[in-house]
Amino acid sequence: MTHKISAKDVSVFYGAKQAIDHVSIDVDQDNVVAFIGPSGCGKSTFLRTLNRMNDTVASARVTGEILLDGEDIYAPSMDVVQLRARVGMVFQKPNPFPKSIYENVAYGPRIHGLATARADLDLMVEQSLRRAGLWDEVKDRLSDSGTALSGGQQQRLCIARAIAVDPEVILMDEPCSALDPIATAKIEELIHGLKGRYAIVIVTHNMQQAARVSQQTAFFHLGQLVEFGRTGDIFTNPREERTRDYITGRYG
Amino acid sequence: MNRTRQPTDWKGAAFRRRTRRRYAAERRFRLLGLAAVWLSAGFLAFLLASMLWQGASGFRQTRVALPIDLAAARLAVTPAQLRGRGADLALAGAGLEGVVDRAATQAYGGAGTDLLSDGAWLVVRDAIKRDPAMLDRRVTIAVPVDSALDVAAKHDGNPQAEATIARLTAQGVLTTGWNLGFLTAADSTDPTRVGIWGAFKGSLLTMAVTIGLAFPIGVLAALYLEEYAPRNRWTDLIEVSINNLAAVPSIIFGLLGLAVFLGTFHLPRSAPLVGGLTLALMTMPVIVIAGRNAIKAVPPSIRDAALAVGASPVQVVFDHVLPLALPGILTGTIIGMARALGETAPLLMIGMRAFIAAPPSRLTDPATVLPVQIFLWSDDVDRGFVEKTSAAIIVLLVFLLAMNGLAIYLRNRFETRW
Repeated sequence: MTHKISAKDVSVFYGAKQAIDHVSIDVDQDNVVAFIGPSGCGKSTFLRTLNRMNDTVASARVTGEILLDGEDIYAPSMDVVQLRARVGMVFQKPNPFPKSIYENVAYGPRIHGLATARADLDLMVEQSLRRAGLWDEVKDRLSDSGTALSGGQQQRLCIARAIAVDPEVILMDEPCSALDPIATAKIEELIHGLKGRYAIVIVTHNMQQAARVSQQTAFFHLGQLVEFGRTGDIFTNPREERTRDYITGRYG
Repeated sequence: MNRTRQPTDWKGAAFRRRTRRRYAAERRFRLLGLAAVWLSAGFLAFLLASMLWQGASGFRQTRVALPIDLAAARLAVTPAQLRGRGADLALAGAGLEGVVDRAATQAYGGAGTDLLSDGAWLVVRDAIKRDPAMLDRRVTIAVPVDSALDVAAKHDGNPQAEATIARLTAQGVLTTGWNLGFLTAADSTDPTRVGIWGAFKGSLLTMAVTIGLAFPIGVLAALYLEEYAPRNRWTDLIEVSINNLAAVPSIIFGLLGLAVFLGTFHLPRSAPLVGGLTLALMTMPVIVIAGRNAIKAVPPSIRDAALAVGASPVQVVFDHVLPLALPGILTGTIIGMARALGETAPLLMIGMRAFIAAPPSRLTDPATVLPVQIFLWSDDVDRGFVEKTSAAIIVLLVFLLAMNGLAIYLRNRFETRW
């Protein structure tokens, strides 16, 4: 079977400093993959190579090969704009545009020309907000500013914004780290609902969260991929000593 | 080292003294700040009050009643000639100026013509144009008095003129009225006939050229430098140069304008086009610097958010960065434009200090601008120009306030609340 994303021997350098050291990993279409590891281990850096967000860092350099549906995303022929539309991203801190809720969600479809008629766009906005579990809370105030929502609502708005361009993969970089437990629970529920339709990669500091939402877990340490496998195996029966130490809280 | 630390005595005399001193320092600082604010407000109020006090009379005009028998004068004009564009020429050709002079001699004796402003017959002309029927009547028209008398009527003249004014006042022939001509005419050698419109229009055209060039070029340069340019020695060099350009004395820009626009490109002298180009050179660095700071202040998370939904760099810039940076850019533009509007020195170099008696109608017409006009009038020996200078300053300040008001309104409209 072919993988949705297949990374082979990926290394990332910031200037002379190596942040990721020969990581190979496969992500399947109907899976949620969690990246765990101590702070500074490179899991966010690796996540950002998957939609080439590292391109914005002038000193960053990526070697190795990352295939999306068998296509090298670092090939010169790859259109970065389209790649990022296909591989959406949700950030650590909720970052809605300082525009209306409607405009936040409609922005993606609009710039990619996904909707021609206003009615189509309305439908996309509603559908995305529904999938993000936010529709009932905001349907009466779509023209209010997205920044006026609560933190958890803002993050779900960001997820709706990512969904609106109909991506194939959604990358989430610690999406709950700025949220309270109730908002976190809502996001996790949402991830469950999105599973299957989108391949999801989530970086998290919270191991319970990784255990709850993911089917596969990758443990990063000092830029290396220490262990990658089924979430159940990683948490109950890790092969590596370092994984066991991290999961049992001996460091991290 | 087995001394033990004494428990802190939070209620002791030393602490009470320290608290008192802290409060005193706090109070002192607040009073100093308040004093600074009041002092600057006081200076500003003094400036405005003295300008208004001296300048207000520049908008008023002393007039003397002139009985004039137009029926007896038999001006050779037909009613048809008085309609349309040829009226001025027809009345001048018919010898209206002489008629007015004779009427003055008749009414006020041999020195009667000296009482009137050189522009008095123009007032009569305009009155006839408004009401051609008066050509068949004997009418009394209030015409502006000579500059020296006007100044005397405003209690600032020489003894001789004061005496004349006293005599005329006793006769009850003097009136005062708004000097609308000051707002509609251009420069003149006679202070009773001068107007600010020529310089105002010159400023307007010059500013239009300046903002039309400096704003787009400055904003685009700032966007390129912040969003696209690689960080290397060349961009560092450009950054240093721009910062230095913003600090270059304005007269140097005038010399540059003289050498480049007049010397090399042979553009017309004294023209708002050249003035605008020169001031644009001066304003651009200010806009670039303010623009770069405003763009830098846009949170990177917004750029990330836009990139992550697949916006191209141009879309990120124009959909998100520029709208968020616009209030800051506009603030810089206000500062730059206000400076350009008040600038005199560089415009002297490119010949905008010439005596220009007609308002410019195109960008290449000779023109002057408000600050240069103020400079020219303040230099004039005729006492009548003193109040005109102050009046022109009032007009300049009103222009400045209107321009800044518009810019602040725009800035507040674009301001985003986070």
